[in-house]
Amino acid sequence: MRLHLVELVLFSTYAELRAEAARSYLGLIWWVLEPAMMMGAFWLVFDVILRTGGPDYVPFLLIGMTLWQWMKSCITHGGYAIWGSLPMVRQVRLPPLVFPLIAMLSDTVKFACIFVLLVMILWALGYPPNAAYWALPIVFAAIFLAAAGAGFVISALVPLVPDLRFVIEQVLMVVMFLSGVIFPLDKVPEHLRWVMALNPVAVVMDDARGILLHGQLPNWIGLSKVALISVVLCAGGVLFVQRLAPRFPKLAN
Amino acid sequence: MNDVVIELDHVGIAFASQRSLGGGRYWALEDVSLQLRRGERLGVIGRNGAGKSTLLRVLAGILVPDRGTIRRGGVSCQLMSLALGFVPHLSGRDNAILSGLLLGLRRRDIVARLPAIHAFSELGDFFDKPIATYSAGMNLRLAFAVAIQVEPDVLLIDEVLSVGDAEFQEKSGAALRARMGEGHTVVLVSHDEKQIAERCDRVLWIEHGRSVLEGPRDEVFEAYHRDLHHPPEAA
Repeated sequence: MRLHLVELVLFSTYAELRAEAARSYLGLIWWVLEPAMMMGAFWLVFDVILRTGGPDYVPFLLIGMTLWQWMKSCITHGGYAIWGSLPMVRQVRLPPLVFPLIAMLSDTVKFACIFVLLVMILWALGYPPNAAYWALPIVFAAIFLAAAGAGFVISALVPLVPDLRFVIEQVLMVVMFLSGVIFPLDKVPEHLRWVMALNPVAVVMDDARGILLHGQLPNWIGLSKVALISVVLCAGGVLFVQRLAPRFPKLAN
Repeated sequence: MNDVVIELDHVGIAFASQRSLGGGRYWALEDVSLQLRRGERLGVIGRNGAGKSTLLRVLAGILVPDRGTIRRGGVSCQLMSLALGFVPHLSGRDNAILSGLLLGLRRRDIVARLPAIHAFSELGDFFDKPIATYSAGMNLRLAFAVAIQVEPDVLLIDEVLSVGDAEFQEKSGAALRARMGEGHTVVLVSHDEKQIAERCDRVLWIEHGRSVLEGPRDEVFEAYHRDLHHPPEAA
């Protein structure tokens, strides 16, 4: 039974990626082109026009946006997955967790492609791979757990209250601005900085940039706290989905 | 002689009647009891909206009763679903694997059955083309070819007895008859009394979400027809 579900999740992930590539003319190229266009837009606004950037702004922005896009897509795609699969949920008996998992896995595969490209660009900009890279998988694991946890919680709620979809995008935009994705948090006024320091997304952003740009290992205590919060969030999300599972087959999207 | 595989005891299922705060509930199933025995072929009859499809989804384990109890003796039940999870931009082959996985087959089992699916669907070279290029009839043929491969302990069928053009209808109907004749336990829901009469040995009649009568086919049909022609209100 368990193995069957693993096969289902893996094959569905493959199917989703394959179908997405086949849906548009440029196919796989969009996985890279779309985030690249978005980064270009932010670079134009914040560096060229507003001049809030700084010497390292381009690598700063590239890393921030790459990681944030991964988190955000896991949260939203995973979050809408059960809701979007309700016609299937009504037809067949499956643990509803498989739907967000499939969405998150395919976003993670896409992230992996983009990340390889990011490393090459950083190298070209004068930040070659360094010895601290070994810590990246740990930071990535913390990011994935946090995003998956948030995604699971949302995925359980959206089928019951589809109106949430209108709120989630806006909330995520605010979180992005408050997490040092686009501009460094030292631009934030002193008296507000303590709020920012509590934000786990800001912590992992800092850690990833430290590794990629300065060969600096993460602050392990800070990262452990984030990991702990993420694990709790993830476990809570899984339980929440399972708790609400009997209600999903009765809903329409 | 304890060969009851599923037993429903005064089962009810409630749905929310509308999506708003404080909206009420309605009972799609009010009170249904039945015993399904191993090897039995049970037909479910009743007028539109009687709760036949909801009952099948309870038997499949998709819906959990809001009242009453369901007892099930370690058997796999599967609702026969056509084109479950089909993705337009994937090939017929990939869709067959995907749909088979969703219907509860292991990957190696589906891969082993791919030649049979390919042959049954009569798709030829189209089997490896995206199903977005298929006609509606080709789609149905592939869907049926996959669905007929699933072999649960209890097969639940909701009006999908024959699909496609006349020739394929005959073929799919024959495949399904063969499947039902293999001694599997089957529950069949249909408007078409003829199909139920041909294929089932016991019949459950439900009306307004309540089981009215369960018993040998001819007995239930007789009572059902008496009621159809002389409803109690008119009497």
